[in-house]
Amino acid sequence: MEGRPKCDEFLKETERIARNLREGRIMGSTEAAYQVLNILKKAAEKCDSGFPHFIRVAIPLMIQARPTSIVMVNLTREFLEEFIRLAKEKGVDEAVGHVPRIINGIIERVEMVKECVATLGSRRITDGDVVLTHSYSSTILELFKKAYDRGVKFSVYVTESRPIGEGKIAATKISKLGIDTTLIVDSAVRFVMKRISKVFVSADAVAANGAVVNKVGTSAIALAAKEARVRLYVTAGTYKMGLETVFGELIEGVVLSDANLIIPKDRVSELAGKVLVRAPLFDVTPPEYIDAIITEVGVIAPQAVPLLIKEVYGWPPKVPSIESLVSEVRKL
Amino acid sequence: MTGFNTNALPKGVKRIREDIRTMIIRGAGRIARAGAKALAIAAEEYKGSDVKDFINYMRKVAEYVKSARPTAVSLPNAVSYVMTRLLRATPESVEEAKQIVITAAEEFIEYSKNAVKVIAELGAKRIENGDVIMTHCHSTAAVSVIVEAHNQGKVSKVYVKETRPKMQGLITAKALADAGLDVILIPDSAVRYFMKRVNKVVVGADTIAANGAVINKIGTSLVALAAKEARVRLYVAAETYKFSPQTVIGELVPIEVRDPREIVEDEWLRANPQVKVYNPVFDVTPPEYIDAIITEKGIIPPQAAILILMEEYGLSISDVLSREQVEFKYEELRE
Repeated sequence: MEGRPKCDEFLKETERIARNLREGRIMGSTEAAYQVLNILKKAAEKCDSGFPHFIRVAIPLMIQARPTSIVMVNLTREFLEEFIRLAKEKGVDEAVGHVPRIINGIIERVEMVKECVATLGSRRITDGDVVLTHSYSSTILELFKKAYDRGVKFSVYVTESRPIGEGKIAATKISKLGIDTTLIVDSAVRFVMKRISKVFVSADAVAANGAVVNKVGTSAIALAAKEARVRLYVTAGTYKMGLETVFGELIEGVVLSDANLIIPKDRVSELAGKVLVRAPLFDVTPPEYIDAIITEVGVIAPQAVPLLIKEVYGWPPKVPSIESLVSEVRKL
Repeated sequence: MTGFNTNALPKGVKRIREDIRTMIIRGAGRIARAGAKALAIAAEEYKGSDVKDFINYMRKVAEYVKSARPTAVSLPNAVSYVMTRLLRATPESVEEAKQIVITAAEEFIEYSKNAVKVIAELGAKRIENGDVIMTHCHSTAAVSVIVEAHNQGKVSKVYVKETRPKMQGLITAKALADAGLDVILIPDSAVRYFMKRVNKVVVGADTIAANGAVINKIGTSLVALAAKEARVRLYVAAETYKFSPQTVIGELVPIEVRDPREIVEDEWLRANPQVKVYNPVFDVTPPEYIDAIITEKGIIPPQAAILILMEEYGLSISDVLSREQVEFKYEELRE
């Protein structure tokens, strides 16, 4: 208990991260999970014996801030399982000392997965391709870089991806790689689809039936691609598979209602109190609109996701819930 | 144009043309009425006594007014409504000829205002009790249909799309909220997300082609596609002067591409010199995604658009062919 005051500053930071997650300010799902892991790592280095308490408060707070983030759930679960195993074997104090090593290990592995996914995906881009992408994803960016570095000649259309507008950041980064980049509004996707040869998007999560949860607008793009017979690829490491969905859990969405997300500042007054604003952050793209999911163990049909889950996690996959793991930490 | 000094035109005519060009006068209906008004002003203020000279003068004024913003078909249609009546008549004096123009312009303006009322009445019949409606951009005709249906107690709520980049959804949201409707403003990217909760989509049109394809604000065709997927009915509310006679003779409808600064700020453009920003402002919704077009002459399937055009313009396709084409920057699109 004496370690707790030292932990307070990390709790404050945890609250800040949770707020950013809720408001969609942390863009990628992997990036979101890294923020969780990094705060755990920093806390472990300072909190000492207060660390288990920190886990019990901080982890549920951050997970609830973004329930769609299967990545956050999966990586946090991986961390907790390893931490509990070590604590039982060598005692809590020694396990706390191992936290940075556990977390570095997880992050290294995810980075390798992303690298591998980007490599496999980049092989799907060929000379003359006109690619459309939506929102911002570090994996997609890496995928484009690999294709470009290999000398493939292609150009990219990027949607601005409202309401957060992270597509503008993606456009900046893609153009800085030297790739011919065009920014469009989300509404223009069907208009440009006829000149697009392939769509590449990332995923926040993949459900057991192969449905892909990603930034809102993805499913409309997938629909327009299907209509125009344009292939759509989703990049997703196996750590994005929603293991709980195997047991019927639905992946919850986040819907924001902050008027400032849509209405420009100078026009808020004319509409204040008159209209509701609803801005979902994610939508679900059905498997039949997806040509393939690119994972680190291969390019698969979305309907083959259960097979992949079986390969990686066993069948049925062993998935203790975060709550049960957190309460196990309490018993240590 | 030899012997035609646009500077010498009446102030009222020049101001209307400038206001249409700079989008101070916006919306297909309002542009059309303003165009007719400009012709009436030109006629009223004409000083001369030769009928032939007057007709020649009016032809040139017509071209001048039409060139303000040639994308929307309502403007040339309004001008041609007035001009056809002048050219078909055989006036014996300038006074008589002037009166023909002024009467025709007044007739058109009255007709246009009344058309929206009729569209509202017809369209409201298509809305059923408890309907959840979605709309895109701002269309006076579409808003009138929704408000009329609301006055009949039928509408549960309306999803209004923001309509980037110019955010015309905000105008619609305010108009509907002021009329007492429950309005939910959503980002364009959420169109498919919300479509499952919607029963009917009502949108306006900028131009309707001979095959029933509807040219409207960018994003309309994506709404239509999402509606089709979810088996949600889609209605287009449009006055008959939005039907394009040029498409009967094979012209493609030009799609206006506007300034990137409507999407991103100047500062962003300067910081990202390698990024192209592409801003087409209209798209084409194919007829098979449209359940019906609601006009003041009746509710028609989009494929019957040619019926409206034949009724309005008869078989005088050669008249249409002879119209001068105005050049402007556009991208051709065949749907």
